[in-house]
Amino acid sequence: MPREIAVFGVLLPTILPLFLASLLIQGALDWVLGLAGVYRRVWHPALLRLCLLVCIFAALIGVYYK
Amino acid sequence: MTPAPAPARPDNPAQRAVKAGAVWLRQEWQGWTNTEGGRWIFVFKCMVAAFTALWLAFRLGLDSPNTAMTTTFILALPSSGMVLEKAFYRLLGTVVGVTATVTIVALFPQQIPLMFVALALWVGLCTCGAAMYRNQQSYSFVLAGYTTVLVGLPALDHPTVIFTLAVTRLTEVGLGIIVASVVHDVLLPRHSNRQVMNTVQARYQRFITFCSEVLEERLSPAEVELTHLRFAADIAALESGRAAAFFEAAHTRWHTRQLHAFNNAFMTALTTFYTLHRLTHRLHGAGSAASPVIALIEPLHAMLAAALRADLKAGQPSPDWQRVQAELAQGVAAARTALGTVERPVQIDFDTAVELLQRFARDMTAFVALYHGLAQQRKMQVSDPVAYSPKTPTGLVLTSGLRAAVALLLGAVIWYWLEWPYLATSLAMTAVFSALASSSPRPLALIKGVMAGFVLGAPLALFTEYCLVIHATDYPLLVLAALPIFGLGCYLIADPKRGGMGIGLSLFAAQVVAPVNQIHYDPQTFLSAELSLNLGVMLAWAVFAIVLPEHTMGHKGQVTSALWREALGAARSPLFRLKLRFDNRVRDMLNQLNATAGPVPGEETRAVVRQGLTLLELGHSVIEMRQLIAASGPSPVRNALTLCVDRLTDYFRDHSRDKGEAVLDAILRAGPHVRNALAEETSEPRRQRLQTALTDLHSIYTSLLDQLPANPQGEPDHAP
Repeated sequence: MPREIAVFGVLLPTILPLFLASLLIQGALDWVLGLAGVYRRVWHPALLRLCLLVCIFAALIGVYYK
Repeated sequence: MTPAPAPARPDNPAQRAVKAGAVWLRQEWQGWTNTEGGRWIFVFKCMVAAFTALWLAFRLGLDSPNTAMTTTFILALPSSGMVLEKAFYRLLGTVVGVTATVTIVALFPQQIPLMFVALALWVGLCTCGAAMYRNQQSYSFVLAGYTTVLVGLPALDHPTVIFTLAVTRLTEVGLGIIVASVVHDVLLPRHSNRQVMNTVQARYQRFITFCSEVLEERLSPAEVELTHLRFAADIAALESGRAAAFFEAAHTRWHTRQLHAFNNAFMTALTTFYTLHRLTHRLHGAGSAASPVIALIEPLHAMLAAALRADLKAGQPSPDWQRVQAELAQGVAAARTALGTVERPVQIDFDTAVELLQRFARDMTAFVALYHGLAQQRKMQVSDPVAYSPKTPTGLVLTSGLRAAVALLLGAVIWYWLEWPYLATSLAMTAVFSALASSSPRPLALIKGVMAGFVLGAPLALFTEYCLVIHATDYPLLVLAALPIFGLGCYLIADPKRGGMGIGLSLFAAQVVAPVNQIHYDPQTFLSAELSLNLGVMLAWAVFAIVLPEHTMGHKGQVTSALWREALGAARSPLFRLKLRFDNRVRDMLNQLNATAGPVPGEETRAVVRQGLTLLELGHSVIEMRQLIAASGPSPVRNALTLCVDRLTDYFRDHSRDKGEAVLDAILRAGPHVRNALAEETSEPRRQRLQTALTDLHSIYTSLLDQLPANPQGEPDHAP
């Protein structure tokens, strides 16, 4: 797997788009969890949210660089 | 054998002392966490964010690690929602700004004058955008503008490095944003969501207390006006708190809708209440022989005030407002019988007062229901509320853009003329602060605060750099050396009165103290950098003090003319949701006025508030009449009302005495038509509408009479 990808001749680290993708996925998940009222039942909603983001990002990297 | 004594025997002095000690300790602890403790926690979080960002920037080998650190100071805000909101908009602004810089530099390579003109245009444009919004969206625009200057200036002579510079800036700002958001959101967070709920509760209590006090006639007109001004500020504050809470995990979509609806209901109730209050006031002032109406409606007021007070009592179920409405209707019917047949003016006064009272009770019913829904976190159906949106008059928007562009060009000319290389830093500072201040209600005060921070920072930074940092051999020691100055800066940021100074000090220190990858200690460079930073801020201050100083947000003259324009809009714009939009705008103007007026508004400010409230009332009545016109077929009533609206439009356009009298004349002629129609009408909803129109005519008439200076021919008789 390439470590960098070229966008119009500019080399970008591949994990940048992966990070953006995980932000998007996290945003969608956030919406669903908020709607379901999960955040009101947990001790530290912000920490939960951060951990979810880390998990998603790590999972994407894991899948991509298998 | 007796069992061991119970642990909490009151007669045991030692235990009592321990218990009292524990209570005292707990109280002290709570007091501390609520005041000073909160500030220290804030300082702690800021320090963690700043030094983590700096360390990461070193580890990643970024070119200027202090940008990452500066970002964490800019994002040092009291609640996690606010940090996340500002972080989001900062990222957005930086991306746009960096893109624009690359484009501008690519368009004018090695043509410095042209490039400066382009930069000034872009900065002016962005500042216009910033002035249009007043929450954190405005910050996005500010940033898009000044990023171009920060990134573009170093690339003037070497256009080829622009891309590297742009990427570095974006990376560093991104790093700072990520670190600051994570730290403020996860580490001992303070949630905007809870603050918003506190605001809602405080507002509710204040409003109810205010209403009952006014109904019992215990407030002077000046106090009433100031309270209205404060409520306007409150409405805006609630909206900005809501916008920040939106970024927090515990905030949901329905919550947003309910808060919008709460704000809308509040504004409607407040306007009705103002009209009611003014009418009562007028009846009181109508002469020593107070009209018989007063005696009849006073018990009704007392009844409503009692219901309001009962609502506030803790621990009791709030009264059923439907029942209150029903009781009020009974009271009104009784009063009507007691009034009997009287002359027409008295009858009209009575009808209007009663109609307004009932309308207020209806508004309150909706408001109270929304409040209890919010307080108990119940999901409620709200019909499409309108978001509160700030709006700045076009003139101000253009002026702030012009000012920023002038500041930049002026700085560039001075730079060219003096040929002192450090002036590039000054120029960047000028651009930053003239843009930042343009979206502030008191730009000069803001810049002055920052300038004080810079001046204070100069000797402190010198001491820190040459007595402490120079001895640091590794990162922990560096942190130890730099901690006092940054800690002081953040401590000042947490103080609402010295916030600007704290920001100035932190930014200044982050610029000159924060070390780069290869540290070299050169006092001459250091002093030049200090001097140039100070010069830049002074230039921004000078531009604000000199270029059109009257044209700032919330200036009294500006607000007055904007209020007249809004009233004109109420008489002409399309009707769809006009009432709520009009309410929003007028309150927003009052909010700007409040932000500028400072803690103790003077008599002039109160005059503007009075004007604003009158126009609010007139605007509401005009909109209601236009709704009636739109709903009815051709008839004498419709023609008469149309004439009233047309004349009012003329009056709003040039607010002269003649036009005002023309309106009065039209209203006097419309009155009989509406009353005849009301007598013939049988369908209940339509009767209601006509009754509303009659009330509107009466309130327009009386407020115009209050508005126009004393009539030379004596007041025309009381009767539309």
